[in-house]
Amino acid sequence: MRLLTLVTIAIAFVSPAAFGQSTNPASPAPGNPGGVPPGTRQSAPGMPAPRQTNQPDRTFIHAAAVGGLAEVELGRLAAQRATSRRVREFAERMVRDHSAANDRLGTLANTNGIALPDKFDEEHKAMRAKLEQSSDAQFDRAYIEGQIIEHQKTAQLLEYEIGSGENAELKNFASDLLPTVLDHLRMAQTISAEMAHQAATEMPRKEMPRERR
Amino acid sequence: MSKYPKTAAALAVASLIAVAALADPLPPDATYRPLPTQPLDVVKALDEAQKPQVMQRQQALLEQRYDLSNRPIDNAMMSGGRKPVQDGVRVRLATGVTWDSLSAMSPDEIRQRGLLPAGFMPLPHVKQATGGQVFPNQQIDEINRQESRNIRRFDIDFDLPDQFTPEFPPPIFLTTHPELGDVSHGQLLTIKNYYQLMIGIITPVQMEGLRLLLTPFPQEEFNQTEDRKSADQSLGVTCLDCHANFHTNAAFHQTPDVRPQAARFRLDTVSLRGMFNQQIHGSKRSLRSIEDFTQFEQRTAYFNGDHVSAQRKGVNLPDRFDQVPMMAQMQNIIDFPPAPKLDPLGRLDPSKATQQELAGEQVFLGKGQCAQCHMPQTSFLDNNMHDLKLERFYNVGQTVNGLVTLPDGPIKTFTLRGIKDSPPYMHDGRLLTLADTVEFFNLVLGLKLTQEEKDSLVAYMLTL
Ligand code: HEC
Ligand code: HEC
Repeated sequence: MRLLTLVTIAIAFVSPAAFGQSTNPASPAPGNPGGVPPGTRQSAPGMPAPRQTNQPDRTFIHAAAVGGLAEVELGRLAAQRATSRRVREFAERMVRDHSAANDRLGTLANTNGIALPDKFDEEHKAMRAKLEQSSDAQFDRAYIEGQIIEHQKTAQLLEYEIGSGENAELKNFASDLLPTVLDHLRMAQTISAEMAHQAATEMPRKEMPRERR
Repeated sequence: MSKYPKTAAALAVASLIAVAALADPLPPDATYRPLPTQPLDVVKALDEAQKPQVMQRQQALLEQRYDLSNRPIDNAMMSGGRKPVQDGVRVRLATGVTWDSLSAMSPDEIRQRGLLPAGFMPLPHVKQATGGQVFPNQQIDEINRQESRNIRRFDIDFDLPDQFTPEFPPPIFLTTHPELGDVSHGQLLTIKNYYQLMIGIITPVQMEGLRLLLTPFPQEEFNQTEDRKSADQSLGVTCLDCHANFHTNAAFHQTPDVRPQAARFRLDTVSLRGMFNQQIHGSKRSLRSIEDFTQFEQRTAYFNGDHVSAQRKGVNLPDRFDQVPMMAQMQNIIDFPPAPKLDPLGRLDPSKATQQELAGEQVFLGKGQCAQCHMPQTSFLDNNMHDLKLERFYNVGQTVNGLVTLPDGPIKTFTLRGIKDSPPYMHDGRLLTLADTVEFFNLVLGLKLTQEEKDSLVAYMLTL
């Protein structure tokens, strides 16, 4: 209990910018008041008081939590099943990075009094089923292709929150996470390109009909 | 035969998965403009309360990135002779590096050590979340004086210091009357004065085109609905509110071509001088004719590429067979300012140019590789888009004043004719002086130019 309070204080302390009063360009930027929901409490005129959420915040937190959960669970699965070392290492990194992000999101949800989903949604269930059903030969490819799509979607989700969210702590979280997610995306794309290249070189060469003149 | 039901079943499963995979898209406001949730007076009060902080944030960002002091080049004026051209490199270096030590590093090293000067990165809009058109004060005041039309926003002001914008009002040169020189009489063309200024100089068709280019129409921030950023119900904006005298006043906006909002990069208004020689239009859209661009600017500069929002605020769609060609033909007679030192092929006349300018031309054509894209004989254009891949030098995805910095991707090559007249530079106005652009390309193209070569390039560009 004490520890949790300490952590909360520490977080509040290291990110004073999170409360929307800062003129530091790196801190969350003010939103368009045209979209502020009626009844929003304000700490100063034009500044939504901390620890409130608007609709984009709630959409974000829900999708980010489910996505984060899936990253860790599918990452564990891939760390066991993947054949290629690069894919296993990538999967381990996903487990590590997304566990850390999930913890931070959990703390934020807690302090903001939001319940996080703790189960997969249909989309991620389908993805898990697809991975479980793929043969060993198909697995690496299926996992990496799925990861590319997941990270593309997460990047758009984070950008959406940065632009449309109201809760400064959540916006800050999204800003902090985005470079890492884009980095993951680049890694997955590189691995995918390598796999495609390898598959092409290993493919048995078919006799090509000679070009007629 | 019996194989078919199986295939069908497999397909059905596959399509189920496909449907499920699309089950959780982003909400509509990730692409479409949301309707306001509050009455205008509430929004206005909140916006006004936020404004000091919003302006301070942007000021802090500009100060961090640039040396904003007023330091003109001796004896270098813009074409109308009304404003000096600013001198020196204004982008600030990260601590511990010099321009030479920086250009000796590999892109990877610069990225990993975070050494790319922040001023080379995308420049955010003053208020990214709201975006929209922002006019410099001189334009606002002059439009108010001549037309009593209000193009001032209550939520934000123009951000760049006056010395880094084009001279105001800019001169107007016509391809149809080179002998006259500047025909603006030192005035800003508006709906009030265009007729007196142009009668006897332009044709009836051009006159009607000009009238349309000067007629205000509703725009996202300037309109009659509750969703606007002007205090009064606004008549809207005109084409030449940004393209002042067919040049630019550095009014800025956000790209209509990207979503979500946080990823929309800033756009600095381009000059319309020399449109007649340009084959592709728009830094990203690459539209193929001035007619296409003119027609579509009502959808983009005015409404951010959101035709749904436009429908509610009052859309103006100029008639393609009559109005658009007249507007286009008026734009197509706007010439570059005279460049007396250039010959018909766009090369320096050695009998008129200085040694330094000639040396600069050599760098431009040779070691600097500039002429590969900015080709002298075709108005310093290649009518192509190029991806300069700046993201080799920095980690993408950082958020700066609400803008998510992402790779620029392919951008249209801009002309360099009359370039001293159109600061700030690049599609988003991220560079303030010509010396900045030389440092930028020196790094991006890995040129390793000497200081002497850099200085000569700047001197050369002043002659264009
Ligand atoms: C916000 C002020 C603004 C207004 C108002 C505006 N423009 Fe533009 N215009 C711009 C900007 C910014 C660009 C650059 C767009 C890009 O790079 O995609 C541009 C580009 C253009 C271009 C293409 C030039 C090129 O070099 O590619 C043309 C032509 C043009 N505008 C014509 C018009 C016309 C016609 C109107 C009126 C219907 C108009 N503009 C209204 C800001 C404005
Ligand atoms: C690969 C093609 C290419 C080469 C080579 C190149 N440029 Fe450019 N130049 C561009 C493009 C594309 C832009 C627009 C970039 C943007 O706005 O992001 C541009 C923009 C500029 C601008 C700003 C124009 C404006 O209106 O804002 C200047 C000045 C410039 N270049 C000078 C140079 C010089 C000097 C060199 C040689 C040292 C050079 N360029 C080499 C493609 C090139």
